[in-house]
Amino acid sequence: MSAFATTCPSCSCGCGFYLLTSNGQLTGVAPSENHPVSSGKLCARGWNAHEAALCGQRLSRPLLRTNGKVESVSWDEAFDQISRRLKELTEAGRSVGVLGSARATNEENYLAGKLARAGLHTNNVDFSYHSLCRPLLAGLEEVCGERIPTTSLNDIASSQLIFLFEGNLAETHPRAASLVMKAVEKRAFLVTIGYRMTQMARLSSLHLVTTPGNEHEVIRGLLAAVLELRRLDRRLLGVHGEEYEALWRDVERVDRTNALRQAAEWITRAERATFLLACNGGEGEQARKDAAAFATLAAVTGHLNRRGSGLLVLVARSNVRGACDMGVTPERLPGYERLDDEQARQRLQDLWDRKLPRDPGYSTEDLLQSASGLIVLADDPPSVVPMGQQAMAAMEKLDYLVVLDSFVTPTVQKAHAVLPIASFAETEGTLTNMEGRVQRLRAAANPPGIARAGWQVIGELCARFGVGNSYTSANDVFSEIARAAPRYAGIEQRLSADGWSTALLANVDDAKSLVYTSGAAAVTESPCARGPYVLVRDGSFDWGHDPLVAFSPTLSRDYQSERKLFPNGFVEMCQRDADTLNLSAGRVVRLRSVHGHAVVPIKVRRDLKPGVLSVPYAFRDELASVLGRDSVTAVSVEAP
Amino acid sequence: MTYAIEKRDVTEWLQKLLETAEVIAPVRGPCGDVLFSTVRSPEQVVWDFQNTLPPPKQFVLPQTDPIIKIKRNGELHEIEAIYDDTRRLLFNIRSCDAKGIAFLTRMYEMEPADASYLRRAYNLTIITLACNIPCSLGFCVCAGSGPFLSDSYDVQLTDLGESYLVEVGSEKGESALSGVPNLFREATKDQVSQRERLEAEAKNQFGEETCHFASAMRRISTGRVQDALWEEMSEWCLECGGCNLVCPTCYCFSVKDLGSDGSWTRCRMWDSCQYAAFTLEASGHNPRAERRQRMKRRFFHKASAQYYQRDCAVGCVGCGRCVQVCLGATNLPAVVGAIRKGKWNA
Repeated sequence: MSAFATTCPSCSCGCGFYLLTSNGQLTGVAPSENHPVSSGKLCARGWNAHEAALCGQRLSRPLLRTNGKVESVSWDEAFDQISRRLKELTEAGRSVGVLGSARATNEENYLAGKLARAGLHTNNVDFSYHSLCRPLLAGLEEVCGERIPTTSLNDIASSQLIFLFEGNLAETHPRAASLVMKAVEKRAFLVTIGYRMTQMARLSSLHLVTTPGNEHEVIRGLLAAVLELRRLDRRLLGVHGEEYEALWRDVERVDRTNALRQAAEWITRAERATFLLACNGGEGEQARKDAAAFATLAAVTGHLNRRGSGLLVLVARSNVRGACDMGVTPERLPGYERLDDEQARQRLQDLWDRKLPRDPGYSTEDLLQSASGLIVLADDPPSVVPMGQQAMAAMEKLDYLVVLDSFVTPTVQKAHAVLPIASFAETEGTLTNMEGRVQRLRAAANPPGIARAGWQVIGELCARFGVGNSYTSANDVFSEIARAAPRYAGIEQRLSADGWSTALLANVDDAKSLVYTSGAAAVTESPCARGPYVLVRDGSFDWGHDPLVAFSPTLSRDYQSERKLFPNGFVEMCQRDADTLNLSAGRVVRLRSVHGHAVVPIKVRRDLKPGVLSVPYAFRDELASVLGRDSVTAVSVEAP
Repeated sequence: MTYAIEKRDVTEWLQKLLETAEVIAPVRGPCGDVLFSTVRSPEQVVWDFQNTLPPPKQFVLPQTDPIIKIKRNGELHEIEAIYDDTRRLLFNIRSCDAKGIAFLTRMYEMEPADASYLRRAYNLTIITLACNIPCSLGFCVCAGSGPFLSDSYDVQLTDLGESYLVEVGSEKGESALSGVPNLFREATKDQVSQRERLEAEAKNQFGEETCHFASAMRRISTGRVQDALWEEMSEWCLECGGCNLVCPTCYCFSVKDLGSDGSWTRCRMWDSCQYAAFTLEASGHNPRAERRQRMKRRFFHKASAQYYQRDCAVGCVGCGRCVQVCLGATNLPAVVGAIRKGKWNA
């Protein structure tokens, strides 16, 4: 039996474990006491991480689809057709683009960005999960500047106060939830904000229950309570003078309940406080404002600048931070630098020896609608973006779709060309977690058939478009990243070849030299949906459609069973609403909104409050006729 | 029979053992963790360690264990059992883990006996290293499975300073010594009494973890644990399943077929009774859909009188691994403590 130290590919906590193999085949996972993030602990996804690679429907040979027929071909045949077809499209002036992925490595993403900008001469490059986290990151940037704020996960456990703005942390980020529990055990105050009485909310000292869509009001209420409390003694605030007055004028009329006053007192008293932003999937503008207000709260109370305190964004997939850092978004170059930053552009032009395009590119959803040719790296946009069916329909209309993946996803089934790449268990490379910790993946087994490492395959595509470099290892690519992205310079030297090789991007104190800027105070009132009931699209990430879970027999059971029982989806409501409507679990209701109507079964939940109906992200498309593009909408409910 | 071997001679003994079987011993990996792994040379074996986080049960019950080959042959399917007859020797495992393997073997020997497991277990020789210093989270003394053993081993080694005391517990143990008989001398009275003294001293050095199974057992077995307590405790569980997967006595598994297109391998894969879908039925009904129900079930299995009577042991060897891996706060000693006191004090 052999053990390979590697990084968990699931969520953005970035735990480490050993992949175990026997005779070259994956057999299991073992935890490590010495890993800086996981310290011997793993969640269910970690414990069963080997299963998807071992049991999943894997791609083992390049495939080409001609006239509806799929044929297995050699690598050269596949590369030849792909480069010919894409060149035809670009020469005909048609739009092409590349999608990287929050579940691909830094090396794969970096090369995907290079292929788009230098090889295909377009800024049409994004990753599908970005459509969920972009507003949130934008909101943070308004307050904190260009650096994604961060704190160390381990600091959570020693916090005296934790502010958790969540979807459902216990399910989305069990490792972070574990550290929150540790703090609560040590008598820290936990304040949760959300519309659901989640496991974390039930353990909290105070749960600020929201109505979907009015989270912003609750956070503004907290801001008001903090400013009011510190009106006389402002020394402890992170905001002064005119900034203070402007902010105060902005929020002074917001309702301040006793609960908000209590929470405000705890924030101002705590020496070490962690602000965890673990919600996503909300409607764009709303999510941006919520994130900005949340960061403002952290900044105003001085917790962005204090040792042991900080704000941490917890997004679902493992390498969201890495994908952003590698420049796999239309508006950012490697190093998370702006597209219009001339210095950064010049550095890349010199490095890649190509003139780079200036026109802004399309983001995922627009790219799917407007492109003729698309290269998708380890991603399945229909299972990620809010309008899944629409994304699927758009992909079906593409003139040419190339997909690189390890697994047979719905996107793979639509592709004209499929390139099989190694899964996380079979490749070398790095991932960057949300702390900014760069960590190595190590190959524990060989990929199936003639599949190759992702960096090799995109490297070859780059070469076909004249921007290849003769990379002989993932490390070669990483060395180039260090030159393309200044923030990654020197990381390679700090990542040792052996052991738990992890290196933090910027040291934590550095990242905390952030100050609150009054621009963020420009928050406006948002009308929340009115109506007898509110229907909300639960933004908690749909792990059931992520190949790492979907292809694991152990992890996928719940999701599959739910699909089987409710093939057309369901909505969740509380017992009181079910009683009022005289409904029992499993019975159907008719939901009607301004967008349209639908008839769906109900599921009774204990964690919802009256008046709130929730549809899991996995079933959002089944309720698209009622939700439209909204994440929250007013509905009427009747028994048909 | 009790012998002694000089420390300087152990290398030669291990060398001999390496010729006769696959030797699995604690090895220090590049990340600093000590893991059980196949060794190629005596120098790899680690002697100075508390215990490994993953238990050595994976060498009798692998996390993924191929048990049947299935092949389509026209209209028919051919099936063939897969047996692993490799001769293995587990070297330097701790007392609790030897007890754990004995527990598993007792279970798999019950009718219908599990030939796949048993072939592996019967081909295994267990050489333990008694714990002169108990590990920091261990409480084996509460479970009757350490720090020293009086059964469940083939050979038990005790570190006496200059030499090891070698207690032989079975014929397999005798034959593990037979390759180099001249290295083993009959133990002196002094050496035997030194071992007794070391065991007594070890028992006085346990850390804070304790586990009073008896009073918890009375409450669990007579339905005197309030549902509200299970509910309250279950809020502190994050359903990682780690407690099951590292438990030396947990043996539950699911069965999955790997492969496709006419050729499959049916594998036994570790499973956790704390996962929501563990008891999910084909109809979609789940008799233990709530976390508190699953937790109650787990502790009923671990520490009820019914199971104690069947297994002649509680389902715990006190290794303390669940304390270390628990993502929440519901490790075994914490829950047993709460059951005993009727109160959760997280």
